[in-house]
Amino acid sequence: MLLDIHDVYFGYQNEVELLQGFDLHVERGEFVALLGPSGCGKSTLMNLAAGLLKPLGGTVDFDGGPLKGLNREVGYMTQGDTLLPWASVAKNITLPLELRNIPKAEREERLDRVIRLVNLADARDKFPSELSGGMKRRALLARSIIYDPQMLLMDEPFGALDAQLREVMHQELLSTVARTGQSVLFITHDISESILLADRILVLGGLPLRVMEEIRPPYGKDRILAKVRTEDSYFQLERHLRDLLRQADAATKAAKS
Amino acid sequence: MTDTSLSSAPADRRERQRKAPARISPTRRRLENLVIQIILISAFLMLWEYASGRWVPRLMVSKPSDIWTTILRWLWDGTFATNLWVTVQATVGGFLLGASAGMALGFITGAWKRLGEILQPIVTAFYTLPRLALAPLFLLWFGLGMEFRIMFSATIVFFLVYYNTYFGVREVSSELISAVRIMGANWFQVAIRVIIPSALVWVAAGLKISVPYALVGVVVAEMLASDKGMGYLLSRGASQFSAAQSFAAIFGLLVVALVVDWLITRITNHALRWKSAGLQNQ
Ligand SMILES: Nc1ncnc2c1ncn2[C@@H]1O[C@H](COP(=O)(O)OP(=O)(O)OP(=O)(O)O)[C@@H](O)[C@H]1O
Ligand SMILES: [Mg+2]
Repeated sequence: MLLDIHDVYFGYQNEVELLQGFDLHVERGEFVALLGPSGCGKSTLMNLAAGLLKPLGGTVDFDGGPLKGLNREVGYMTQGDTLLPWASVAKNITLPLELRNIPKAEREERLDRVIRLVNLADARDKFPSELSGGMKRRALLARSIIYDPQMLLMDEPFGALDAQLREVMHQELLSTVARTGQSVLFITHDISESILLADRILVLGGLPLRVMEEIRPPYGKDRILAKVRTEDSYFQLERHLRDLLRQADAATKAAKS
Repeated sequence: MTDTSLSSAPADRRERQRKAPARISPTRRRLENLVIQIILISAFLMLWEYASGRWVPRLMVSKPSDIWTTILRWLWDGTFATNLWVTVQATVGGFLLGASAGMALGFITGAWKRLGEILQPIVTAFYTLPRLALAPLFLLWFGLGMEFRIMFSATIVFFLVYYNTYFGVREVSSELISAVRIMGANWFQVAIRVIIPSALVWVAAGLKISVPYALVGVVVAEMLASDKGMGYLLSRGASQFSAAQSFAAIFGLLVVALVVDWLITRITNHALRWKSAGLQNQ
């Protein structure tokens, strides 16, 4: 097991009982999607996995040992924009490599690969202020995958992309993690995205947060997305998840009021 | 405004070739502004020349032609050169001393939260003290020479740069810092790669506004007590009832201030080009 959030308690000043004995684990090479209403605590879980937040009770284990301080073994693509505004796109993307003292030649080589993957080769010398919202998301994606971390934490990574590009990115992401064996914890509001990508979908809701249902789309690691989209089971799953999400939303709202 | 070289092309093609809506070219606009500025200043000088001795006593306001003669004389006999050199040296010294001390303390107190909580109120207490109150003490400690000017101007620069650096460092987005730390940065790398560049906007602003103050500090110090420098020329002119001399000294200071401001703008613009990068492209 790579990530093991076990019996965790956590809350904010205004949301004291957000997590009460919550469990979440991710196996090596597993792709887990978190689906749930806005404000239910998805980003909070991710920050716990990244070591940015400390649980008030319970344990967060990573790679066999308890997490001490920040988790340097993950690539975190945050919900907000965390590009350095004074550095060019290329500099931003290679920053993790520079911080790890990887030689320039190798940096360039890896940059070439990921920048083409996210389709930003033309923008490599631009500053973030010159990019569109979707381009920023792609630069963030490139930065979080360039150093091959053991696990990717992705908080709504593709929300700002157009449908076409999103399909390309889906397939690319799947083949990348299939090749590298990386685990992924993936937050999304998009039901079909979660079915297409995940090995396991957790529908979250309620306060304190709980897993409403766990679903395993049966398509395997080397799925062809265009084909999955035509399967009957895909439509059934979508309908089922939509119902679940409605219940989760109701549960969260009921608990908050 | 319209591009005449394309006028033979079909209208629709011309439309497509035009990348941005046409507007007055910036160079042309700048040129026009310059001409208007020159006209305004000349008009003011002519009015001054005419009014002096007629509407207002010449002893008080002198007149541009007298001032010009004084300027020429000072240029010729080296008065400008020696006094300007003293003032510029002291300004540079005061600026460098005050700015480096301000940046160092601002950075430490900004980045190290606890230390900031302790030291910041103390700095503020000193800041509210009128700087002129320090002059007698400084005179006692440093005498009439260069050190007095430099220290006096440095205390002014110090606070401006300190506050800008302190708040600049405090403003750095914590989300950005966490992101970079997760990517593997240690605290030193965070300081070099995130805190300093991010605070640079503020620090640069602080440096920029404090340059004129460094000059002011030196000139005030020279007016208070000295026998050299532009401030000395200024007060000497007034004490000898020669407004022309005072105005000539002011003119000299004006030229220095303009040159310094131009230089500092060039430098800070270069350091902050990422800030305006998006704007130029829209
Ligand atoms: N820094 C914070 N301080 C106080 N409360 C917070 C903070 N961050 C989140 N919360 C609260 O905790 C709850 C969960 O927030 P979280 O960001 O985890 O939601 P989310 O599931 O990621 O939502 P979304 O899908 O909109 O991003 C929310 O009610 C929010 O108001
Ligand atoms: Mg969130």
